[in-house]
Amino acid sequence: MRIAAIALKRKQWEPFAFASPSLVLIAAVIVFPLAYAFYLSLQNFDLSVGPEYEYVGAQNYVEALVKDQRFLGSVWNTAVIIAPSLAIELLLGLGIALLLSRVIRGRPIITALLAIPAMVSPVMGGMAWRMMYGVKFGAINNLGRQLGILDVYFDWFGSPFIAVVAVVLVEIWHNTPFMMLVLLAGLQSIPQELYDSAKVDGATPWQSFWSITLPLLKFTMAVGVMIRLIDLTKLFGLIFILTFGGPGGATETVAFNTYLVGFKDFRMSYASALAYVIVGGVLVLTLVFLWIQRAREARAA
Amino acid sequence: MAIAIERSVVATRRVKRYRARRWAGHALTYLGLAAALVFFLGPFFWIVTTSLKGNEDFFAYPPVWIPSEPSLSHYVGLFTRSSGARYFMNSLAISSLSMLAALAVSLPTAYSIARWRFGGGFLSAFLLVLRMLPAIALIIPIYIMYKLFGLTNNYLGLVILYTVVYIPFAVWLLVGFLRDFPIEIEEAAMIDGCSRLRALAQVVVPIIAPGLAVVALFAFIATWNEFLFAIVLTGIETKTMMVLVTSFTSGGTDAFFGEASASVVLGVLPAFAVAFMLERYLVKGLALGGTKG
Repeated sequence: MRIAAIALKRKQWEPFAFASPSLVLIAAVIVFPLAYAFYLSLQNFDLSVGPEYEYVGAQNYVEALVKDQRFLGSVWNTAVIIAPSLAIELLLGLGIALLLSRVIRGRPIITALLAIPAMVSPVMGGMAWRMMYGVKFGAINNLGRQLGILDVYFDWFGSPFIAVVAVVLVEIWHNTPFMMLVLLAGLQSIPQELYDSAKVDGATPWQSFWSITLPLLKFTMAVGVMIRLIDLTKLFGLIFILTFGGPGGATETVAFNTYLVGFKDFRMSYASALAYVIVGGVLVLTLVFLWIQRAREARAA
Repeated sequence: MAIAIERSVVATRRVKRYRARRWAGHALTYLGLAAALVFFLGPFFWIVTTSLKGNEDFFAYPPVWIPSEPSLSHYVGLFTRSSGARYFMNSLAISSLSMLAALAVSLPTAYSIARWRFGGGFLSAFLLVLRMLPAIALIIPIYIMYKLFGLTNNYLGLVILYTVVYIPFAVWLLVGFLRDFPIEIEEAAMIDGCSRLRALAQVVVPIIAPGLAVVALFAFIATWNEFLFAIVLTGIETKTMMVLVTSFTSGGTDAFFGEASASVVLGVLPAFAVAFMLERYLVKGLALGGTKG
């Protein structure tokens, strides 16, 4: 009797003991700081003024969402970078995944080679491209001149529009491989028999693409787009190295703007409020993501 | 007779047409993939060749694409003048330590979730939400706290932060590996008198070692690549490669590329290694953690 009671007690206690180291660390290094940041976001803590601060209520949030043209502009900039990046990453990723799924020999090695940009740090990828965009010695201008396409030393970060295009191009280079990998996995989970029977019924490849591949790939695409969308709201390293937000703030994203407010102006409270506005946005996106996951599981069951 | 011959002629023609079309299809497939490889790997090729070029090749017009006299002088310069050796070792040490610590802490937690469904769906969802969290939201309070405790420009501070940030990711992947592990083997060990912890360390770990290696490599590359925490929290001694490379951006886009390209080559080296080692797990790893910011 007593032994059984001890065993029971131990059983209830063990899961906590096993899980507690991570949970304590997460509480101390992630949850507590986030709570502290929320507390800060309601004060007017500004390190460039001094260590004293006082409670100001929701004033920082009102400033961020109503008055701060620079922050609202950065929301717009982020959207302007996200929209074309996502669309092209999806289309290009799908195209390459379809090509890869037709390869019989050497697929793993080609896949691994194509995946490399996604494994590289945004800062390193960004630096490589920054040098390629170089006005006098960059690969792009040199190649363009050699091929006779460009006749001047073109400044890729000279005008706001071209700079956004340049950033989007690097972003596509950096993350299309991820989309390709996700979609390739999705393609491989479609049973071959479906295509075989469609072929027997006289379907053209185009028809089976529209009525088999696309419908069955819809959820995979949605998940891939969702993950990219959430990660694109964090776009920081690429901007830091490529344009530093320029020219004229045209490529200043929300994460980069918050970084500047926090670590250039040292307005800690206001930066915390901005971060929470971003967290709110990302949370909404995450809920949509979870909802899609659940819908997919319901469909699979 | 005549009809039969005609039929066979038609049939051969059909087969020929079918073969030609299939051949054309294959050619187009490989052509498309070749174009993709040029786009996605071209920048690496250019960076590597640039890092090996001497001044003469670098300033030449028409441009020299393949260095005529490859030299490692920029790497030597990076290691001596720009203290690249130190920052490379920093990156290596911080990433390795965080990787080991994250693995050690995450494994029991993942075990608890996989075996006892600890925390139910709530804990899993919570960990997923943490993965979605923007790093910018965390770095502001962490910076203030670290300043207070004197943990800025400090290896320990960075290792702690990276360890904890990659716990959710490691737990998620490990739960998957542990669920695949046959519980009978473990129970047999425990019937023979093994404690739960010993069974985990001596029976489960050796068998799921490949899975642990996958998680470890992803944690390593994620820490190696991390930039926002590093740029805010490191000082002159504790810089990582990611911070070092930003020092080459002053002086416009045409500042001399030698050491900059050498540092990029060193900075992307682990990514190449990991992409090949983890080919099968790339989707999962990148979806759950991968590169951020």
